[in-house]
Amino acid sequence: MKEYSIIGKPTPNVDGPAKVTGEAAYTIDMTLPNMLYGKLLRSPYPHANILSIDTSKAEELPGVKAIITGKDTPGGKWGLWRRFRELSDQQALATDKVRFIGDPVAAVAATTEEIAEKALDLIEVEYEPLPAVFDPIEAIKDDAPMVHEDFPSNINATRHIEWGDVDKGFAEADYVREDRFVLEAAHPCAMEVHNSLASYDKGTGRLTVWTSTGSPYFVQQNLAEALKLREGDIRVIKPHVGGHYGGKNSTMPDAVNAAILSMKTGRPVKIVYNRDEEFTTTEHRTAQNMALKIGLKKDGTIVAFEVKTMTNGGAYTGLGATTLYLTGTFITMPYKIPNYRYDGVRTYTNIVWGTSIRGFGAVPAKYCSETQLDRAAKDLGIDPLEIRRKNAVIPGYEAPGQYKFESCGIQPCIEKMAVRVKEKWPKLEKDEGIGYCAFAYMSGGIFNWIDTPYAYSSAHVKVNWDGTVDLYSQAADVGQGHNTVAAMICAEELGIGIEDIRLHMGDTAHAYTDLGAWGSRETLMNGNAIKDAAAQVKQKLIDIARLKLGENIAYDLVAKNKRIFLELRPERGLSYYDLVKDAIRANDGVPLTGTGHYTPHNKGMISPAYGMGIMAMKAKVDRETGHVTVQDVLVVHDSGQIINPLGARGQVEGSIHMGLGYGLCEEMPMDQGMLLNPEFVDYKILRTRDMPEIEILDVPTYEPNGPFGAKEAAEATIAPAAPCVANAVYQATGAEFYSNVLKPEKVLKAIREAEKKQKASKATGK
Amino acid sequence: MKQQLKIVVNGEPYDLFVEPKTLLVQVIREMLGLKGTHQACDSSSCAACTVILDGMAVKSCSVLALQANGKEVLTIEGLADGTKLHPIQQAFIDNWAFQCGFCTSGQIMAAKALLDENPNPTREEIQEQMDGHICRCTGYNMINEAIRDAAKRLQSEKSAQSGKGAA
Amino acid sequence: MAKHYRCPMCRKICAEHLDLARHYLGQTDKKHKEWLKTQGLSYAALIKAQVTEFGNKGYQALADVLKKTAAEVEI
Repeated sequence: MKEYSIIGKPTPNVDGPAKVTGEAAYTIDMTLPNMLYGKLLRSPYPHANILSIDTSKAEELPGVKAIITGKDTPGGKWGLWRRFRELSDQQALATDKVRFIGDPVAAVAATTEEIAEKALDLIEVEYEPLPAVFDPIEAIKDDAPMVHEDFPSNINATRHIEWGDVDKGFAEADYVREDRFVLEAAHPCAMEVHNSLASYDKGTGRLTVWTSTGSPYFVQQNLAEALKLREGDIRVIKPHVGGHYGGKNSTMPDAVNAAILSMKTGRPVKIVYNRDEEFTTTEHRTAQNMALKIGLKKDGTIVAFEVKTMTNGGAYTGLGATTLYLTGTFITMPYKIPNYRYDGVRTYTNIVWGTSIRGFGAVPAKYCSETQLDRAAKDLGIDPLEIRRKNAVIPGYEAPGQYKFESCGIQPCIEKMAVRVKEKWPKLEKDEGIGYCAFAYMSGGIFNWIDTPYAYSSAHVKVNWDGTVDLYSQAADVGQGHNTVAAMICAEELGIGIEDIRLHMGDTAHAYTDLGAWGSRETLMNGNAIKDAAAQVKQKLIDIARLKLGENIAYDLVAKNKRIFLELRPERGLSYYDLVKDAIRANDGVPLTGTGHYTPHNKGMISPAYGMGIMAMKAKVDRETGHVTVQDVLVVHDSGQIINPLGARGQVEGSIHMGLGYGLCEEMPMDQGMLLNPEFVDYKILRTRDMPEIEILDVPTYEPNGPFGAKEAAEATIAPAAPCVANAVYQATGAEFYSNVLKPEKVLKAIREAEKKQKASKATGK
Repeated sequence: MKQQLKIVVNGEPYDLFVEPKTLLVQVIREMLGLKGTHQACDSSSCAACTVILDGMAVKSCSVLALQANGKEVLTIEGLADGTKLHPIQQAFIDNWAFQCGFCTSGQIMAAKALLDENPNPTREEIQEQMDGHICRCTGYNMINEAIRDAAKRLQSEKSAQSGKGAA
Repeated sequence: MAKHYRCPMCRKICAEHLDLARHYLGQTDKKHKEWLKTQGLSYAALIKAQVTEFGNKGYQALADVLKKTAAEVEI
């Protein structure tokens, strides 16, 4: 592997000093002079016609500066599936009817938050409740209430994927099994709630919005649609963001209503959700029903696979349609599946909607497929690690018309896992088991449902007289550490230090487009754009150096350690700082600039590259109480060339935390569309005492599509956590799970059923 | 009816008038503009707003401002020594013990209170003490390691100082 | 030259009726949905059959209708 000066070296977070001193400003910390506070009045009904809204009493309250209802908004609808206009289904305030408990119907701007809240109580809304639907199976019935007009049986999106000859594959299989699953919803629970600060300039008609988002560009596009303004008249700034995890891709009513209220009052308006609103009205990981049918040969080779999915989409689309698609994709990875068929439908229902939460698609999908694979392996008498090794893809493997693995370290990962597991856990105690799960995930999505006319990512580099560099991009650091990665890539390419680079990120007015932080895209896509921009500047410096050194033109020059020198004769070179001065002088006094971009081409339907690996967990089951203790976690993963080992470890640790929550305790029980646990007291997030230690081993590869050979590290390891736990319990007790969230009562029930089954099979002598 | 609140925050004395229902976190964030202390829930269950009140880590959302009358508060803004970061802050940076950083102020203040009382805690003791804090990014292990690293730094700082004192 | 079949509602052509059915049910516009009614089919019922039962049942049902109705094209 190539030796780099910066890439691959553990590098502290460039935002560290700001974040550990409390100086880092999040949107929630920001105020503007003369600012008003906005609040949203929300529907108490899951489905109802709005008959009338009377705001007169609220308007009389001193301190109230504006009240708006649906008819006062510009009325533009928006969404992220902009290629399919009918799926742009979100609106600022409900006009004709409300579609879930929490759908906003009115917005207030007042001089204090307290007055705004009081005003909400004084608004009188008359509703006519309508029959509602909460479940995908009910929603798809012919006589089900319609959540949106023009969507019969509430079919919001469908997806079909097929390759090979599935029916022939099943006919040739020695062993076929079918399993049906019900997956629970989960909330991303970012610590910083959704909030936005909007400031409209009456004189110029331009709008500036600061918001807690993963994609300032998406917000800019959506605001333009919602407000019927030009995109260019809207500036969106992403300050530090207190957590995203996929829950901050969609533009939400906070941003849009703050903007409308600012346009009405001519004053800055800020809307901050409370934690209850965050739980009940912002996007979550979709609940879904899945059915899987797998066919294998006696030796464990998969010959056919068929998957059916119905997701409980909720009231609007968000990125839920993408999740539906990716469920059908990631469920096949990282295995060779010669014959495959997937059908998915996302249904509209009268609940808050589901979307693209961390590891989207993969998390529910892998839970089902990897627990099913363990059961198949047991029936066939094959070791669970061996069945995964046997079916794992190899470099160059292609799923016809869908995806191709270029760098691909899954086989070496499994081999390394086999060795390490024996060393690490040589002996199991009673009621202990080891569960495995192999995984793969995209490094940025290729699909363009957002319908951007721009490059997927771009970056601009400006080198100043003193050698300092300004790096501009809309790319979003949402905590994952992208700012550090961006600075590292720029510094490595220019052969300078991170301290030479000043970042200007996440502002639509200061940089060219980047689609934001989702689908583990920033390292690869923004990294490529930054590397491209920096390389253009570097070439200018190399040209000047070549001129000054007067060397043979066949010699290669490199930029490293703040010098530009002959690769084979490092002593012959010039200082970067001196060359910059010369280059600017030679450029008629204009600072050196480069503008780089990246859009994937001819890389299939999903992603240019895939992070992958295998996870193992050792867990112990208490047969008396049903309590599952995850004792130890081992991950072997291939993230290509890791840019920042500190950040990559953080991503893996954090993914496993959220993935374990999905497997053990996080759930969103609802009654008639009402969430029953909208607080951290009742919504169980794993705390520090619940977290096992995690050992992470790397299998580095070189990804040809990534900057310096890098690919994703942020999401691949969330999906395997829950199936690892379920498989560990299965190996220890034989208990089978057809739903995530292994609460003790569920574990006890599954153990009893397993015991019954074992007795019955003994009795029949099988 | 507003009442007088005399309070010392990060070494600065303040003489304020607050409503009886005003929370300490509101005084810190809204009246004093110290936005480094974050609030992430409305049910006293995430500990993001932890500050040190007379040497004890408390959730500032669960203390009435008037309960802090006559007392000293330390927030994240008061931890560094001028431009020199406190060893806990430095250890959090060096161990990648935060990602989004929103819960970090509370984690660091709790770690400070913990290390003041127990200068050499084990992994399990840290887990015990820090269990009330929600972090959605890190999975906690790297925070735990940062606190153990900070303990070492503080101890070597202390022994360097006492060495100096003896000489 | 090979025989292809044209979608009754748009310009799409496919070599197999099953592929044409797959195209058809992937369209979300009103026009495609409405035509199914004239053939005695329900969009929702076809999707439901496709996603709740293993096999290609929904597509097959539509393909059977398209066999009778889709225009042939030689390309």
